[in-house]
Amino acid sequence: MNAPLRLTDATFEEEVLESKIPVLVDFWASWCPPCKMVEPVIANLAQEYDGKIKVAKLHVDQNLKMASKYQIVGVPTFILFDSGKEVQRRIGAQSKEQLNQMVIQAL
Amino acid sequence: MSLHNANLTCWNCPAIDLAGKVDFRACGQAVEKFQKSLGENSEVHIMAECKRRPELGIFDPMSITFEECPEWKETPFGYILKDMRVMILGIDGYLGWTLALWLGSIGCQVSGIDNYNRRDWVMERGAHSVIPIARMTDRLHAAREVLGIDINFRKMDIMDRSHLKEFLEEVKPEAIVHYAECPSAPYSMIDADHAILVQQNNVLGTLGLLFLMRDICPETSLLKLGTMGEYGTPLTGRPLFEGIFPADAVLHWHDQEWSLGGELTPRDPVSFYHVSKVQDTFNVYEACKYWWLHSYDIMQGVIYGVRTEQVAADPRLRTRLDIDEWFGTVMNRFVAQAVVGIPLTLYGAGEQLRGFIALEDAMQCMTRLICSPPEPGQYAVVNQMSGYYSLRELAETVTRVGRKEFHLPVKIQRVENPRVEADRHPFVPIYERLPKDFGFEPKVPPEEAIYNMFELLTQPEIKERIEQKKHLILPRTWWSGVKKQVESIEVLEEVEVPD
Ligand SMILES: NC(=O)c1ccc[n+]([C@@H]2O[C@H](COP(=O)([O-])OP(=O)(O)OC[C@H]3O[C@@H](n4cnc5c(N)ncnc54)[C@H](O)[C@@H]3O)[C@@H](O)[C@H]2O)c1
Repeated sequence: MNAPLRLTDATFEEEVLESKIPVLVDFWASWCPPCKMVEPVIANLAQEYDGKIKVAKLHVDQNLKMASKYQIVGVPTFILFDSGKEVQRRIGAQSKEQLNQMVIQAL
Repeated sequence: MSLHNANLTCWNCPAIDLAGKVDFRACGQAVEKFQKSLGENSEVHIMAECKRRPELGIFDPMSITFEECPEWKETPFGYILKDMRVMILGIDGYLGWTLALWLGSIGCQVSGIDNYNRRDWVMERGAHSVIPIARMTDRLHAAREVLGIDINFRKMDIMDRSHLKEFLEEVKPEAIVHYAECPSAPYSMIDADHAILVQQNNVLGTLGLLFLMRDICPETSLLKLGTMGEYGTPLTGRPLFEGIFPADAVLHWHDQEWSLGGELTPRDPVSFYHVSKVQDTFNVYEACKYWWLHSYDIMQGVIYGVRTEQVAADPRLRTRLDIDEWFGTVMNRFVAQAVVGIPLTLYGAGEQLRGFIALEDAMQCMTRLICSPPEPGQYAVVNQMSGYYSLRELAETVTRVGRKEFHLPVKIQRVENPRVEADRHPFVPIYERLPKDFGFEPKVPPEEAIYNMFELLTQPEIKERIEQKKHLILPRTWWSGVKKQVESIEVLEEVEVPD
């Protein structure tokens, strides 16, 4: 399994906060063009870091609880979690290189 | 293999009702409304109702796929809503009429409006459709009699918002195909009156429609026609992405880097008509952003051809074909020239590269897009073309088919270019989404469409109609405003015709 994982409010805790490896979460919305365009980059990262970093997506309109808990003020927002803690956050579309730099620090 | 839209859910379905359950905001705007109202432990999701299956009550729109829903049935183009209500604006036109019969034949309930602008504009130029087209009443009658298709037609101007409002409320379309614009670059360059008419008709017609959709049918998917000409032909040869930059396109400046992902790509339109399409692009984009409308902005290549199974079923069902300098598109014009023995005219170098697609393939694309509605608020763009060629290559293909199959003495000539455009330039269009995401496979190569056109246009009645208007083929509309007919530069004698 190396496609990005689809999170929901219900699975967030187990999949992200209790994860044994770092997790990159893409908070996105269907009406947001940058979110759409970043999809293939995210899919690519999921493959590349398979087993080392978990790459996951949360649709903010369908999962308002977590979107609200993490104070998502704009989409896409990328948050890197390590041992249940937020360690990095970036807002707006990111190139592959930028996302790479973000996750490399958690390795 | 499963169909391209099998796994979409009610989230994408136009029969869904999300009214009042969404939070309109932009990419950089917080979810404040919900942050305030959310208690620590409340479970808030977007819930929806189904307009077709009210018995479902309120449910999670992600829980049912098209494949699972009994309202969606399988067709060769993907799952489609049973008796899907599709409204075609500009239904009397070249594409509108063809699509109406095509959709009717796969079981859609087709409705449409047209105010016959196109018939009037062509008449104003002293031209006519070389394929004689029936009056709308006869077209509708023949559609019923020959194909068993009932079309709900109203003669109406898209600008007449009060009547359009009533019609939208009556039909409640599940998809709207918006063709109702003036499609001609040269027509928009004749003079100030024509430029203003084209921009008013196209831009304001579309803008009014967007407001009506907001108020009456925000869940309906809008298929809006743009053109590949919106992008222009940048001399750097940078790729012409599908309307929006991918995330891997980056802006480098002063040792810093930003992703351009999700931003509209630059536009460089090539006439005041094309400018109207660019303006539409922004208006549709904004409407999706403000009101969660769902839209495909379709950057269509130049269409060629006259044939689909339905329009060929009866002479009264044929679609129009124009050859005059204003409304004749290039390939259609070439074939007409070949039929009456006028050299095929290339403007300038004739090395202009353009995206093209056959009429039937364009219908296939439209159907696939209708089957696969965008998500709420999604403004998506596709480049709808099946290949690209230089105009000289196309002229050569027409020459070969004309000489070999129809024994016509076809020639090609270069004339002065009345337009302001690069006639030697790189061209790197990206047109991957339709094949990749929607399962589109082009079926009609240019040679086949050209052959079909020759067959029809060489019929005596039609050939006679070309003869009557052949003086309107050579351009006299100069982008510079000069008033004169173009002069010949050279006649190209050497076109290879393989055995
Ligand atoms: N044919 C092509 O090669 C091509 C290529 C790219 C894009 N397009 C676009 O596709 C669309 C359809 O093109 P077409 O070739 O069928 O053109 P068309 O002129 O044959 O069809 C447009 C129809 O809309 C109607 N219309 C125009 N203004 C109207 C108004 N105010 N109210 C009601 N009806 C109105 C016209 O009468 C006409 O029947 C256009 O938007 C055009 O710009 C066409």
